[in-house]
Amino acid sequence: MTTAGSLSSELRDLYAVESARIRDEFATSGNGRAAISQRNILVERIGLHLWRDIFSEEQGPQKFALIALGGFGRGWLFPHSDIDLLFLHADHETEDAFKDRVRSFSQGLWDLRLKVSPATRVLRECDRFDPANVEFVISLLDCRYLAGDRDLFARLHDKFIPNLMIAETQPLVQRLADVTRKRHEKFGNTIFHLEPDVKDTPGGLRDCNVSLWLSLLSSMEKLHDWPDPKSLLSTSARKQFEPAVDFLMSVRCFLHLRYGRDDNMLSWEAQEEAARRGIGVYDGRELPAADWMRIYFGHARSVHRTATQLLEEIPAAWSSLSRHFHNLRARVSDADFSVVDGLVFLRQSSALQDPEVLLRLFHFVAHHDVRLSTTTEYKIEQVLPSLAATPPRGAELWLYLGEILTQPYAAHALRAMHSLRLLTVLLPELKAIDSLVVRDFYHRFTVDEHSFLAIESLHRLRQSHSEWEKQYAEILEELEQPELLYLSLLLHDTGKGAPSENHVEGSLAIAGECLERLDLESSERETVLFLIGNHLEMSAALRRDIFDSVTVAAFADKVGTPERLKMLCLFTYADIKAVNPEALTPWKAENVWQLYIATANQLNRSADQRLHSGADLDDEKVSRLHVLAPGAGKKVKAFLEGLPQRYLRTYAANEVLHHLEMSESPGKHPIQLDLKRGRHWFELTLVTNDRPFLFGKVAGTLAAWGMNIVKATAFSNQAGTVVDTFYFTDRFRTLELNLSEWERFKRGVSDVLTGEADLERMLKSRMQAEERKNTPKVKIKTSIEFDEKCSSNSTLVQVVTQDRPGLLYTIASCFSHHECNIEIALIDTEGQMAIDVFYLTAHRKKLAGDHLKEVETALGEALRSGHSQGPPSTLKPVSR
Amino acid sequence: MTKIEAIIQVSKLESVKNSLHEIGIEGMTVLEARGHGRQKGHTEFYRGREYTVDLIPKIKLELVVADTMVEKVVQAISTAARTGKIGDGKIFLSHVDEIIRIRNDERGEDAL
Repeated sequence: MTTAGSLSSELRDLYAVESARIRDEFATSGNGRAAISQRNILVERIGLHLWRDIFSEEQGPQKFALIALGGFGRGWLFPHSDIDLLFLHADHETEDAFKDRVRSFSQGLWDLRLKVSPATRVLRECDRFDPANVEFVISLLDCRYLAGDRDLFARLHDKFIPNLMIAETQPLVQRLADVTRKRHEKFGNTIFHLEPDVKDTPGGLRDCNVSLWLSLLSSMEKLHDWPDPKSLLSTSARKQFEPAVDFLMSVRCFLHLRYGRDDNMLSWEAQEEAARRGIGVYDGRELPAADWMRIYFGHARSVHRTATQLLEEIPAAWSSLSRHFHNLRARVSDADFSVVDGLVFLRQSSALQDPEVLLRLFHFVAHHDVRLSTTTEYKIEQVLPSLAATPPRGAELWLYLGEILTQPYAAHALRAMHSLRLLTVLLPELKAIDSLVVRDFYHRFTVDEHSFLAIESLHRLRQSHSEWEKQYAEILEELEQPELLYLSLLLHDTGKGAPSENHVEGSLAIAGECLERLDLESSERETVLFLIGNHLEMSAALRRDIFDSVTVAAFADKVGTPERLKMLCLFTYADIKAVNPEALTPWKAENVWQLYIATANQLNRSADQRLHSGADLDDEKVSRLHVLAPGAGKKVKAFLEGLPQRYLRTYAANEVLHHLEMSESPGKHPIQLDLKRGRHWFELTLVTNDRPFLFGKVAGTLAAWGMNIVKATAFSNQAGTVVDTFYFTDRFRTLELNLSEWERFKRGVSDVLTGEADLERMLKSRMQAEERKNTPKVKIKTSIEFDEKCSSNSTLVQVVTQDRPGLLYTIASCFSHHECNIEIALIDTEGQMAIDVFYLTAHRKKLAGDHLKEVETALGEALRSGHSQGPPSTLKPVSR
Repeated sequence: MTKIEAIIQVSKLESVKNSLHEIGIEGMTVLEARGHGRQKGHTEFYRGREYTVDLIPKIKLELVVADTMVEKVVQAISTAARTGKIGDGKIFLSHVDEIIRIRNDERGEDAL
């Protein structure tokens, strides 16, 4: 035995010299795998020196062995990793006999400043599964003989470990899967962190280990023996997995040497240096940090994919609960796709040659929350080159993309498409933000992941139980075209990948090209560009006094319509929430909501601000009208004169021109009707000269046909031309199933308005049928609010009440009976709640004191009884 | 050394920060806060529901400065945050015994 002091000093020198050599070699080569392998050899050499010194022989004593576990056992000993050791005894006798020498051995390593994590076990303790210490059992999978009784090690390795693993595969795998899922959850289930931890973040080295362990356990169960390590992953998986492991090894090695401790955080400063030194890059060339990080994310993506696929496949095969759950999902299989154990397979392997099937596949994923099987992913990768040569575009692509975006698991499908490089084939605009790290102290994720998270956070609103999130969920449900909001979120930060200094401007330019390619209608483009262009406006308004009417009015003016306000509010919510998990504090969420309701009220209360030639007509929309109809300048001006500003914000330029055309149809029917079928409902626009009971009669006719009015607007200009639009659902599918009924329906409306049809009789039979079956599920308390101050010309009435057939007719006929003229009507429905706002005048003035009270009483009575008074027998002309 | 806590309007944060930067104050803690003094709450009706905000959103600034700077800082904050209306906020001053910079154990004004 050498003197303790001299050996210690000899080993310390050896360790210092060799560690310096390894560090220098790494600095030159950047080869992490070589560095950790050399460190493994060095530590093993030192350990054996000490062992020989304490136990006098390398392969002795009998019944006692020294075993490397974990990273040391695997040969992955990073510069500052712990050294996991197992002191294995045949029985408790040797444990007692060698206790002191084990302590000296460990002490010797600690004195060299090696971080040792020792464990002592008797052999028979190694065939038990302790759920509280699953880490130890898993670490046995990487065991490696170092010194001592070789036969004892052989018994552990060849008999005890396989027996334990085979007997306990299911609970072990389940536990490993649980621990991994929890870790992924802690990191928001994404690899795309701006400053990732290369060990623990999804796609990091820990996931490499999990993949290898899961494969090993699965193979062991089948073979009843240790499998060949090279057979652990499929050839195709290994092709991407192994270079990824090499890269991550180099990065972790670099970080340990840089920090001088076991710190695996790839901070911005570390990214800069790693990129400058080309760490992990094949030829070690210097790269910009953002490009180097793209390489990191590429490798992390491969590792994450392998780990998540194994997590999905292996536990599902064993767990009865998981199997039951997956069997439920198997029921969603259809003619194109089958679902087995939660994984989607193609029924016909050649089906993906058709781009429509490919898009339907992702719609399926977005709808059912299922993952693609490895074979399906492989098939997609095979068809990508031909798809990239002639990618789908225009309305065909938008039709599918819009559908995918509105499905509850859209973000999941988008991530799968992105990971397979399909998303950037379909939307090349996203290439610039692929895995893009933009450095600020606010965002936690890359730009692409931030966009997916924003979409995901909106879809998750539907499952939320929090009171204030339910409010956001309500307005999300009310959106007419939610796909436009989701598309805006997908494109809103594309400008961050462009050279433009202002990313909003950059995003607008990029989105403009994308919308052109997707062939969106002009009004849809306007909405998407509005949202992208103004996506920071609500946050900016929050930095003002949100209870100040001037702030609210300015913001309302910028937003224009309630629909855009809802979208912008939800956009702001999602955008902040996707920044980092703590960004949307309750303080911010409540302020966004307060600004939303104040602005919504402001929009309703300022709806009668009229357009007049001169100042207001310089509006951007008016300029667009002039471009679309260059010869119609005077006519446009005359038509717009006196219309509320809200009118221009409600309709797209081409719709305004269509209304103008309808209003000047000389020789045609005085009542011009346009019926369209939209995505969610039918749309009836009426252009005619104002007349008493007009709005109520149309509402009554629609009710008599069994239509459910969900929204309506009514506007009139100075010349008395009325533009009323009713949005309704066809409850009995009369129009949907019978195209011939469209004309009869329009004629029916027209006949009621001209007095040729008896509205009362039509309504009577409909209402009798409705009364029998109409039992509301939710009771809404009626509130009627009169506001005389918000408008200089009209009295505003807001009615919130239980929605029911014929409601709008009841309200409108009550107003008409009391000689009120409906200047503007803004009708909305939220579930079973009707929210109707009317601007009323009587003899071109606001309602006077007694008259107002009389209307209020009559309206309250009409809503209570549910009976309308019907049109009066003699009608007086509307006074303007 | 004096700890200065200022409750200000949300809209005044930028101008107060700029004023403090102008007199050489760069370190401060900003907290999202709610509260009210004489300025009462705000009620808004939306779809038949009443939304009452009893506690109005505010910003709370916290900073510790050398005693010689106190008056300058107070002046900078109050000038930048004042609108003259109810709800402008308040400034609280309190004595601080010691400051320790965790990184290097510096103490007193050196740690500011």
